[in-house]
Amino acid sequence: MLKSMINPDTSGKKFTIVLMAVLMMGAALSAQEITGLKIIENVYNRDTGEDQTADLTMSLINSRGDERVREIKQYLKDFGKMEKKIMFFVAPADVYNTSFMNWSYDEEGKDDDQWIYLPALKRVKRISSDSKSDYFMGSDFTYDDLGDRQPSADTHKILREEEIEGEMCYVVESIPKEEEYIYSKTITWIIQDKWIGKKKEFYDEDGDLLKTLTVKEFKKVKDFLIITLSEMHNVQSDHKTIMKLENVKIDSGIADNKFTERMMKRGM
Amino acid sequence: MERMLNKLIRFPKTIIVVLLLITIAFFMVMKKNSRMETDLDEYMPQDHPAFVYSDEMKEVFDIKDGIIIAIENEAGIYQTETLQKIKDLTKALGKMDEIEKSDVTSLYTADNIIGTEEGLDVKAFYKRVPKIAEDLAELRKSVRSNDMVFGRLVSDDETVSVIIAEIEDDVFTQKFYNEILTLVKSYEGNEKLYVAGSPIVEGTMALLGPKDMKKMVPLVILVIILVLLFVLKSFKNTIFTLLVVLFSVIWAFGLMAFFKIPIYAVSTMIPVMLIAIGVADGIHLYSHLDLFLQKNPNATRKEAVSDMLKGMWKPVVMTSVTTSVGFFSLLTSEVFPIKYFGLFTAFGVTAAMLFSLLLIPAGILVFGFTKRKPGIEKKSLNKIPFAYKFANGVIKYKTVTLLLTIIIVAVSLFGITKVWINSSFLEKFEDDSDIVLTDKFINEHFGGTSTLNVILDADENGKIKSPEILKLIDEMQQKVDSELQIVGNTFSLADYLKRMNKVMHEDKEEFDLIPDSQELNAQYLLLYEMSGDPENLWKVVDYDYKTANVTIQLKSDNSKAINSAIAEVEKFRAEFQKLGVKINFAGSGYKALVFTDLILEGQIKSLVMSLFIIIILLSLMFKYFLAGLIGSVPIVITAVIGFGVMGLMNIPLSTTTALISSIAIGIGIDYAVHFIERYKIYASETSDKQKTMKETMHHSGRAIIFNATVVIAGFLVLLFSVFPPNRSLGALVSLNMFTSFLGTVTIMYLLLYKTNLFFGKK
Repeated sequence: MLKSMINPDTSGKKFTIVLMAVLMMGAALSAQEITGLKIIENVYNRDTGEDQTADLTMSLINSRGDERVREIKQYLKDFGKMEKKIMFFVAPADVYNTSFMNWSYDEEGKDDDQWIYLPALKRVKRISSDSKSDYFMGSDFTYDDLGDRQPSADTHKILREEEIEGEMCYVVESIPKEEEYIYSKTITWIIQDKWIGKKKEFYDEDGDLLKTLTVKEFKKVKDFLIITLSEMHNVQSDHKTIMKLENVKIDSGIADNKFTERMMKRGM
Repeated sequence: MERMLNKLIRFPKTIIVVLLLITIAFFMVMKKNSRMETDLDEYMPQDHPAFVYSDEMKEVFDIKDGIIIAIENEAGIYQTETLQKIKDLTKALGKMDEIEKSDVTSLYTADNIIGTEEGLDVKAFYKRVPKIAEDLAELRKSVRSNDMVFGRLVSDDETVSVIIAEIEDDVFTQKFYNEILTLVKSYEGNEKLYVAGSPIVEGTMALLGPKDMKKMVPLVILVIILVLLFVLKSFKNTIFTLLVVLFSVIWAFGLMAFFKIPIYAVSTMIPVMLIAIGVADGIHLYSHLDLFLQKNPNATRKEAVSDMLKGMWKPVVMTSVTTSVGFFSLLTSEVFPIKYFGLFTAFGVTAAMLFSLLLIPAGILVFGFTKRKPGIEKKSLNKIPFAYKFANGVIKYKTVTLLLTIIIVAVSLFGITKVWINSSFLEKFEDDSDIVLTDKFINEHFGGTSTLNVILDADENGKIKSPEILKLIDEMQQKVDSELQIVGNTFSLADYLKRMNKVMHEDKEEFDLIPDSQELNAQYLLLYEMSGDPENLWKVVDYDYKTANVTIQLKSDNSKAINSAIAEVEKFRAEFQKLGVKINFAGSGYKALVFTDLILEGQIKSLVMSLFIIIILLSLMFKYFLAGLIGSVPIVITAVIGFGVMGLMNIPLSTTTALISSIAIGIGIDYAVHFIERYKIYASETSDKQKTMKETMHHSGRAIIFNATVVIAGFLVLLFSVFPPNRSLGALVSLNMFTSFLGTVTIMYLLLYKTNLFFGKK
């Protein structure tokens, strides 16, 4: 779900789900009875196009205010049952053209495939990680925060409706069904007519607030709403990550063979 | 002054009541506001460059001292049950209020980065506890092949594993320690568990010292009472002498509490000083009174008190002023607790003077003096020949006296060259105490319980990633590790890069080195950030790759160990300099070292300064410069022998032992002033040098030996303390009292005799 907040994507499969969901929702809405699960599904299924090209600027800010900036060129494309993503580092200079490729699968329980290419080593290496709770590239986002978390993995409940910055939001609490998950619960503010998250709070195993995600800006690109500026703040370590998307192109027709080890080596 | 005293003394009851009321008021303030300071950081001058730097680096690299919990299973740690305990205890520790979850490190939390045929595998060593033999063997294999864990979290013989819980400096309390001990104990079974680490050592020390003092001080006072009773032969006199000490201690601590100044560990030295110094005035006053009454058995209370004040007010004021000045000179110290120690001891000494001149006379006037039975007078009369004999003996064997003094001073000076400073906290405990044994156990199995942080500061951002610097860091680590037995382990960014390089080359040993390309280093680091736990990286390098933190683990926190590691690192300073990198040091062990140096430096500075001031003051008081010089002899002798014995007996200088030299000033000056003043009075009364010598020895010499006996007896009690620093304290105070006494009645006496002081005009 968060993936669709941060890294919007789309898929044929999702499209059918969207259709079905819209149909079912029509019935549900007419009965004035939207549920937490449906809200989250709506967000999860929001259409964000087939493919996307963008310049991502990731700023990491520690508690003392030191800032590090990484500039990345990213390409992603939905292949139906899987989503492929390739990222090239533009800056800092000493990691120029270092690339990272990620294939994630809709199939439940199937881990992502990841590759890294280090130009100085001239070798592509597979990375396998057993934990989706690892932090993504030293940021405050975990892979899970960025990835598709199936709506069915959590139990959702509408807490209330409230207005944030002029937008009416549903406030939904999601509690994971699995035990020992890194979060004990999350609370998401979802803009009612757009099905886009505005804010999300993550609570740690002890039930204390761990992180707050704030969506600061979203833009309409073609007909899709794309989140272009968001900030994840780890309130316990006071570390922040700001993700900014620029030059977003949707459905520009990225070739399928863009997402290969060969392309990783070739660089930008 | 004398007139004013006599006027005041007309209202003895009022004096007693008023002083008592003020004392009660101070006592109430003390009860209400007193607070112990156990955070050692609070002791250090916050604006000293070394501390400012160390604290800054502590922020940057999140350097915290760790509590180390060791789990030992003699059958090996790779047992389902033991691994379960490591997991459960890791979680339980993280749940404690005092510990941040992310600050707990163990085999359960550690990342295992493994190089495989096709790539890189990052995972936990275990999440679910392995149950079947195959999985256990697999875990064992992966630990063995990971240098960043093997030898650090699991011992080489695989029977011990540690959990490290880092805590902030200010969270340690006795309660917290007990909670940890209870928690840890509850996991015992087939495994034995141990708790160690510098927070435990420092915390326990800060609590144990004063706690032991609280137990010992009443015993010290009891012994002093008994000896006072013996020498003063009067219950009343004993009580009043003690009241002078007691009141001065209450006033000093009361005033401290009034200004909301917490009690530091060194503040426990204030009563020690006041006991040693405060009883002197009482003893001298009563001694004078007794001699007067021996000569005038029918004198009234008023006459006796009047004569006592007339003869004694001057030395009492003089000794108190000079002693106070000695303590005031500690204000030059950069260390606040020492400043407070000097200030409030000076205040206590001044208060004691006030009580000696008001309370003691008032007490005599109200309660009368102890009538001496003729028999006892006889007895004390019998002692006179001894004082005379002694006086003659010193003169007769003056060459022997002089020679002995020179030899002793020479040996002491030799001893001083051997004096070493020790900021170790651990060595303050008994060798067979749990804390020391646990520490030893962990040091036997792991890198070390103490750390020194070497901070490398480059002149440009990103420079730490350069191969030249990283290789030099690696070289330095290897050198320090191989040259010094005391160094158990070192850790830096270089270790991460070597590990990454090896892993990215299918785990081949020949790639266990720093790559030659800055780009590759940068890319490895990026990869680590992406796949490992970047938080770990920020403990060895800063955000801008400008500053690196090399951790050297030591098997001892003693200053010699830290200094030897520093010396080894210093050898690399020039080479780092060439690359534009500066070397600095940080960490709590280093801070303690600098701190002890500071204390010592301040102590020596103030010792020298107060010596000069005292020479001047004495010269003014006795109107002879020579008197000033002679009067300083007992101080010098006491200080020289004090430090010399420490050097010869291998007692290191520490915060407390260094302060004991203050006693040299306090006591040495007391003895010298009383003695010279008496000498001067008898000189002008009799104009006969022989007679003057004998009378002075009989009068002052007697009081001085009484004083020395009382305090020595009292402080010898501390030899039975369970806390070693308090034992050295007892021994050294006693030694200082003894040498002050001996120096006064021998060499100073001889000098007075030889120089013809006060007889010069004749």
